[in-house]
Amino acid sequence: MSALIEFDDISRHYRMGPSTVKAIDGVSLTVAEGEFVSIIGPSGSGKSTLMNIIGCLDSPTGGIYRLAGTDVSRMDRNSLAGVRNRYIGFVFQTFNLLGRESALENVELPLVYAGIPSKERKERALEMLERVGLGDRSDHVPNQLSGGQRQRVAIARALAGEPKLLLADEPTGALDTKTGVEIMKLFHELNTEGVTLVMVTHDNDLARQVKRVVQIRDGQVLQDVAAEEFEV
Amino acid sequence: MNSSTLRVFRAFRESLVMSLRSIGSNKVRSFLTALGVMIGVAAVIALVALGNGAQLSVQQSLESLGSNLLLVYSGEPRGGSLVRRSTTNITPTLSEEDLNFIRALGSELVVMAAPESSATAQLKYGSVNTVATVIGTGTGYPDIRNFLPVHGQFFSELDVDTRKAVAVIGVQVYRDLFPEGFDPLGQSIRINGINHRVVGIMEEKGSSSSDAAVFVPISTFQRYISGERNYALINVQAASAEVMRELQTIIENGILRSHRLSGMDSADFYIANQLDLLSTMQGVTETFTVLLGSIAAISLIVGGIGIMNIMLVSVSERTREIGVRMALGARGSDILQQFITEAVIISLIGGLVGIGLGVGASWAATRFGGMAARVSLNSVVLAFGFAFVIGLFFGGYPAFRASRLDPIEALRYE
Repeated sequence: MSALIEFDDISRHYRMGPSTVKAIDGVSLTVAEGEFVSIIGPSGSGKSTLMNIIGCLDSPTGGIYRLAGTDVSRMDRNSLAGVRNRYIGFVFQTFNLLGRESALENVELPLVYAGIPSKERKERALEMLERVGLGDRSDHVPNQLSGGQRQRVAIARALAGEPKLLLADEPTGALDTKTGVEIMKLFHELNTEGVTLVMVTHDNDLARQVKRVVQIRDGQVLQDVAAEEFEV
Repeated sequence: MNSSTLRVFRAFRESLVMSLRSIGSNKVRSFLTALGVMIGVAAVIALVALGNGAQLSVQQSLESLGSNLLLVYSGEPRGGSLVRRSTTNITPTLSEEDLNFIRALGSELVVMAAPESSATAQLKYGSVNTVATVIGTGTGYPDIRNFLPVHGQFFSELDVDTRKAVAVIGVQVYRDLFPEGFDPLGQSIRINGINHRVVGIMEEKGSSSSDAAVFVPISTFQRYISGERNYALINVQAASAEVMRELQTIIENGILRSHRLSGMDSADFYIANQLDLLSTMQGVTETFTVLLGSIAAISLIVGGIGIMNIMLVSVSERTREIGVRMALGARGSDILQQFITEAVIISLIGGLVGIGLGVGASWAATRFGGMAARVSLNSVVLAFGFAFVIGLFFGGYPAFRASRLDPIEALRYE
């Protein structure tokens, strides 16, 4: 399997007046295609910053980040927007669906920014909704859906552009336990179908459900192990 | 279409659909936002229409005086006083030589000239008495002043030469002297006790100075009424508008010479030029139009500020949405386009409704308000274009702010 994410000595430093905050400091990490990795750490550990950099929402201040072989560490805003659109699908804790738009329209969004014509867009969006089991809810707005259904719509939206990477930030954090289990089951199915997943969480039990666990503390990698070897 | 214009077109259509949906989802707010532009556009159109109407009616009333008119008045020059004035109380200084001099200037300068003097006189028909202004003039008068007999005819050159006691009466005089309404032609009326035969009735002009006048040959007037050889006024019709200034100078110099005067400062006559009058009045009404238009334009700008205000609120309310869109691959330019399109659409909707309101208000002012409002296509196009530019300009800043948002901050926004 070829490497999808290559972090080479990545750091992200913020200048706060006279002092420098090292949110991420010298992280090297490789995620191959088809992996399912969870990134775990308490709040303030730097895992959010790490996730933002992986998701191309932020750029590192040091080091090289190659995504699918392309160096994205010094790209400008517009190029990063293009990379996000083509390579990354986001799943958020609070779903972040657009409340005025129907499920179908939400799923269409990444395809809108990819410049895909309306008809093809609708077909692909419907396909994605069917894949997450919501083909019959395509004209519902988020308010008419349950939390689990909303997260499924969000996952369909993340998958719509056929990204290389699905990046999930506390995907079960706003769901009850049962629904959370269903969402994790869906992730595992997707992973079996070949989707690469990176999930960020602070929940050790959740982190352990995936193949590989990367633990972050104080901006550095504390452990990078297979799930069964993970020690709290 | 090549692929990049196709992409731009598609992106535009997307933001159009998105904007319409966003406008539709917040109808009251969108309406209130558009209202500012609506009122502004309606005000521009209606007020400019009023200004144009005023301009037109001034022009029409000036043209009704006759075209290419020069008025040579007896008396001391009065600066800037160009409005036609009564000749009744003027001491006449213009002689027959002056008239002949003007008539001899040739057809490339002068079409015709007619002397004019007037006096207030007692009129009597049977037992009916009235007082009117009697104007002694020449046969060219009706054509020069664009004021024609409507019944019978004006007196002839022969009548002037032979000092015939004939009269053409204004329509008001006719109504006063012949209240029964029968045909006055051939009847004798007494002017200051002298019998004059009525040969015509002048058309209705709508102004009392014209309608309540009696016209007699200048020679007859001099003989029976004034006893004065000079004229109070010479009406001159110039050959064209282009020669009016030249003609004015020639006449001034000629009369100065024959009156043995050194210059217009000490002259006993002056010339009023219809062109000057026209341009003065036009200047006034143009200022009026510009003033009204400017006031209306200010309200348009205020409408624009309303748009900016609402768009800023909208951007801040939708910060999270903007963050999500950016995470999904929207570039700054996509966000910019989305919000500008929204502002422009609100502005254009306001503009369209405003045009309707403005045209309606102009129509109502004309129909019920007795004002002459005239909607010009220019003001409609201008106001609509202005609405577009205002949407672009005042929507531009909020949209720019939206496009510069940091996606991480925006996603975290509560």
